[in-house]
Amino acid sequence: MNLKKAVITAAGKNQRTLPLQSLVDTDGVTKTALAIIIEEALAAGVEEVGIVIQPGDQTAYAAAAGPHAARITFVEQAEPLGYGHAVACARNFTAGAPFLLLVGDHLYVNSEARGCARQLVELAASTSCSVSAVQATHESKLPYYGAVGCKRVPGQTGLYEVTEVLEKPTPTEAEQRLVVPGLRAGHYLCFFGMHVLTSTVMDLLAGSVEAAGGKGVHLSDALAKLAKKERYLATELKGRRYDIGAKYGLLTAQLALALAGDDRDEVLGGLVELLAQRTR
Amino acid sequence: MISLLPLITSADPAVRDQSLDASCRVASVAELLAACDELDGFRRKAENLYERVRALFFLSAIHRFHLPEKLRSGGPSDRSAALIPFRGYEQLLHRRFEEAIDTFLALQAGQGPSDGLASALANAYHRLAFQTLADQVRRSVRSVRGNQWMFRMGHPADQPLRIRPELLRRGADGAYPILRELTPVRMDLTHSAWSDIFFLGMDFPEGAKVVNVSVDLGVHGRDARPRPPVSAWLRVLDEPVLRLTSVDLGATADITALGEVFDFAKDHLGLLKAAVIASGIVPPGIEGSGQSLADLLAHIVGPGRGLEIVSCVNDIPKGSRLAVSTNLLGSLISVCMRATGQTTGSADKGDVTGPLSEADRRIVLARALLGEWLGGSGGGWQDSGGVWPGIKLITGVPASESDPEWGISRGCLMPSHHVFSADEIPESARQALQDSLVVVHGGMAQNVGPILEMVTEKYLLRSEAEWIGRKDALTVLDEVISALRRGDIRALAAATTRNFRRPIQTIIPWASTFYTEQLIAKAGAAFGDDFWGFWMLGGMSGGGMGFIFAPHRKVEAQARMQEIMSATKRELQHALPFAMEPVVFDYAINEHGTWADLLAGDDALMPPGYYALTVPALVRQDRRELPLARRAELDTFGAAARTRPELRGLVQTLFDVLLPRGRSESAGGVPLADLLDQNGFDRAQHEQIREDLREGRIGLAQNRLRADAIIEDVRPEDVSFEDGAREAGEAALRAGEVAVITLAAGAGSRWTQGAGVCKALHPFAKFSGRHRTFIEAHLAKSRRTSRASGTPLPHVFTTSYATHGPTERFLAAVDNYGYQGPLHLSPGKNVGLRMVPTARDLRFAWEEMPQQRLDEQQQKVRESLRAALIGWATSAGEASDYTDNVPLQSMHPVGHWYEVPNLFRNGVLARLLTERPQLRWLLLHNIDTLGADVDPALLGQHIRSGAALTFEVITRRLEDRGGGLARVNGRPRLVEGLAMPREEDEFRLSYYNSMTTWIDLDRLLSAFGLTREDIVAGDAVKITAAIRGLAAKMPTYVTLKEVKKRWGHGQEDIFPVTQFEKLWGDLTALPEIESRFVVVPRLRGQQLKDQAQLDGWLRDGSAAYVESLCEWE
Repeated sequence: MNLKKAVITAAGKNQRTLPLQSLVDTDGVTKTALAIIIEEALAAGVEEVGIVIQPGDQTAYAAAAGPHAARITFVEQAEPLGYGHAVACARNFTAGAPFLLLVGDHLYVNSEARGCARQLVELAASTSCSVSAVQATHESKLPYYGAVGCKRVPGQTGLYEVTEVLEKPTPTEAEQRLVVPGLRAGHYLCFFGMHVLTSTVMDLLAGSVEAAGGKGVHLSDALAKLAKKERYLATELKGRRYDIGAKYGLLTAQLALALAGDDRDEVLGGLVELLAQRTR
Repeated sequence: MISLLPLITSADPAVRDQSLDASCRVASVAELLAACDELDGFRRKAENLYERVRALFFLSAIHRFHLPEKLRSGGPSDRSAALIPFRGYEQLLHRRFEEAIDTFLALQAGQGPSDGLASALANAYHRLAFQTLADQVRRSVRSVRGNQWMFRMGHPADQPLRIRPELLRRGADGAYPILRELTPVRMDLTHSAWSDIFFLGMDFPEGAKVVNVSVDLGVHGRDARPRPPVSAWLRVLDEPVLRLTSVDLGATADITALGEVFDFAKDHLGLLKAAVIASGIVPPGIEGSGQSLADLLAHIVGPGRGLEIVSCVNDIPKGSRLAVSTNLLGSLISVCMRATGQTTGSADKGDVTGPLSEADRRIVLARALLGEWLGGSGGGWQDSGGVWPGIKLITGVPASESDPEWGISRGCLMPSHHVFSADEIPESARQALQDSLVVVHGGMAQNVGPILEMVTEKYLLRSEAEWIGRKDALTVLDEVISALRRGDIRALAAATTRNFRRPIQTIIPWASTFYTEQLIAKAGAAFGDDFWGFWMLGGMSGGGMGFIFAPHRKVEAQARMQEIMSATKRELQHALPFAMEPVVFDYAINEHGTWADLLAGDDALMPPGYYALTVPALVRQDRRELPLARRAELDTFGAAARTRPELRGLVQTLFDVLLPRGRSESAGGVPLADLLDQNGFDRAQHEQIREDLREGRIGLAQNRLRADAIIEDVRPEDVSFEDGAREAGEAALRAGEVAVITLAAGAGSRWTQGAGVCKALHPFAKFSGRHRTFIEAHLAKSRRTSRASGTPLPHVFTTSYATHGPTERFLAAVDNYGYQGPLHLSPGKNVGLRMVPTARDLRFAWEEMPQQRLDEQQQKVRESLRAALIGWATSAGEASDYTDNVPLQSMHPVGHWYEVPNLFRNGVLARLLTERPQLRWLLLHNIDTLGADVDPALLGQHIRSGAALTFEVITRRLEDRGGGLARVNGRPRLVEGLAMPREEDEFRLSYYNSMTTWIDLDRLLSAFGLTREDIVAGDAVKITAAIRGLAAKMPTYVTLKEVKKRWGHGQEDIFPVTQFEKLWGDLTALPEIESRFVVVPRLRGQQLKDQAQLDGWLRDGSAAYVESLCEWE
């Protein structure tokens, strides 16, 4: 699998300004969140990036992309009809090729030399199938994520063959259908916001969009069908993701980036000073 | 040497299914003890749950039935035999069964086996076996996938459930929509010999099979058409509370604290609470976490919001044997699960309404099992059947490697359901069934718990007849299915009748009652060949039952069965515990199973009964203070009440609730005050007792003898044994010097748990092919004695306000059972008025007396109930008159001490003396001492002894609690359990008082300061003074009794009430009366106190012994 394209979704209702926020990246340079995400993709070997936006956001996003603007194709999602629909909008952009799928409001910090996206892309290249990044998540967070049921791939740590995909399952469903041996009790594999997907997914999504007739479309449903059609893997990456849309999400993401980068000592020093000065 | 291990461990079913009884019958005491040693060693090591449990049941049965019999045949009671150690008894109370067994076994090893120790071991093994089984079911309930997460959740922030968005969509007027779940109940077509008990299904899944039908229901003549009888309603509230309402029980509560959700017995909302917990809204794992309910609700519904859940069962009476409460639990759980997106048609993936998928139904079942366990009850595994549609076959499932039960039990906890399609059972057959079957509620409400235990035990013991019965029941199931497929209802009726007559009654004779037999006989007489058969609906007959008729006579049969049941109930209402008037049901097969719809806008109304309950309080509030949604709801309700025909009666109901009619105190016409007057109520004494109670001068703690009293076991010279004075006895009988007095004034509070029926008239068991009452059994013994001696024996039954009228009418109706000797009733002349207990006495009874701890969850429920009852006593007024019940339940008899003096006062003794001037000896015994008869040898011994009173005592078994024969400060006397200063003293006493007393009339009269001439002369003043004089020397005991209050549709609440009594055995404390004590065989002296004893009584030879004393015709 030779992967050259990435799709970043940024058309969500509460999501449109998040990728435009500025942060200091691990290299000590101030960038927009969008630029950091694009660089994550580029570091994984991607050459072209499609960004799904709401109509009218193009100028702001083009500016936010900074030096990478030339590699970007903007795709507009006319109506907010769900994540699946947003991805489906980029079908012409991907044009039958496999693609890396990222979300505009998640940042990743890797705990090994390779970036998270790169780890995922290399795995997809070696297995020649769709792979979703997943992370073990406590059941109390199930209302926020899609989750997968899988079998372990023998002999490989952190690699799973997906059998089921459920969007925001209840713990009752999760316990009956998504239990994966080897995880801590009450933990399930939830999506990490990063996938490498084959063109089959675009075909499935197109079918779902048509069938939905103007109603919302989930990516999870298409992925559930994908698992029935072709080999579909999930993997736990060496790294963490940060949702900058959550409460204090931007702050946490910034701290995570800073503590993992060149300015670690400076930031730590600042934090210690803050703590020392706290009187109450 | 016999070995019983192969019966448990053999791989060959032919060996494994052999009966224990057959193997033990031939063994000697030594062989049995050796076999027990081997079994006990085995059960301690056994890894397999069911092998362990079977070994425990084997041990229990050997100690209950086989050892006592062999010990008995070894000679007369040995008074050096080991007594039951108090330490072991305490261990039993605390459910430390293993330790108790070790204590008893150690003593047995040292002192040898005894009847008492065997009874203690039997009890300990029996209870350990059930505990082991119950623990396993519980573990399985928790480990069902889909239930586990709820036990991990301990903080609101961990709550993963979210309300479905459609329930948050307000209407234009601000009201939230209502999610309504309508659920049918289930009828069990095959019964299959209780194969739906978990313990059976989990050991013998191949034999666990039932055919069960989901039905809509209506009360014939009351409801226009059958509807799903069970409904659950849910909506969002603008307040952070959990508002629970049970329309049928008239209870509603706003719950604001997490702890209250787990307080099951505080009010009548236990079932709703169990559903809220089992559905994961307030998951079981959060109990005791100290977290806030509002926070938890905020995570599910949103900040500042709450949930309202309402249950309704369309006034279907309790005890219908249609699993109404389990299906209501299922309905509530289903509506809660739908509302929180836990059904697969959920979370943006589909619709919240409509039927459930099979996967959803299974999880509702798993949750209902959890809910039953939480609530301390326990329905069978087929009971949630109403959640499924139509007619289905429910079968046990052998455990496979992926099940949590694998390696532990042979079967899974949850059965599988096969819903019959229209191809398998055609529409015409379904219609034919409905055209022939008349479903009724006979009106009896009985506790089936003991029956389920008996069934389990007999199954695990593979008792010969019962095992054949079980196999027979499986063939009945095949017949039923085949008849259904063909639509041959006549064959179906034959099969269900055979089921009832053969396997069911082979396994449990008590499944039928005299009432049921009467109904079947009368239906047969009225409809002849058009009465096709009887169908037992559930655990026991007398409540929900089916009668099958030729279709062209069904309508007529419905009316006729109502008449038959009502008339039969009237005849038997004093003899059997009826909870309600019998009803006939209309029903229809429900082909959907449970079903939900969303009510919005003008339809967003709760069931009508809900408004009768809530509107009066709402209209009293300032309208402006009501939340927006409430105001909108009231408007919608107001409009609907004016226009909708189905709400027509509601305005009147509301009016009645707002302006209640004056409540009349009388029931059955006679007001309480009149009844008290008629029955010799002593108001001055009553007020004195009240004051003493309030001041703390009397009470449970004050019943006891002084703490420094020395209580010792009697010495050999204090008792005698039967010594062959038969001839003197026979001579007295021939001369007509003897009469029998049976104490029948009691309402059998233990027998029917306070239902207030006459125990004497209860047709409790079959002898010579018919159900016989206690009275008939006692008369049959006197008949035999009369015939043997050639002189008719006078027989007196003492009665009370509660039993006199019914007993008199009953004896007239049966023509005194043809008894030829003189037969008299001796009406009571004293009565007391029950009082609300003091909190002090309740605490003493529940906290300071040794208590039987219950199973963990049941104990929690009991503690919650007791806290509520102490609250009730305080708010109702301690030691105030208990009048909030029917008059007969408000009065109480004042103890059996008065029974003999009553004979002096009411003229019965005078009549006896006039008829038989030579009368000199009386035999006094309790109604439940069935083995007592006028044994000439014992009579002769009494005559020869010259004593005023001879009391019969028996060796003590574990269940013989409540005092005994003791030396108190050096003098032998009977001591009541209430008077024991220390609980453990009782366990040092070898003998238990059977209450049976031989009386020398003249000596007794002289103790009163009376003569037989005084009695015959009927000098009321002198007699009354004499009685009062002796009564003053007798201690007065304050006791707590449980009394049932009936309300609603077959609902019953049990309240503890205070009453006082004076007891006969205390006469032995008086030095002026010479009392002697004779040790009699257990079969003669034991009492039948509790219906749960019946089965053991039948199996251990007691029934046969009684039968041998009787002549019925």
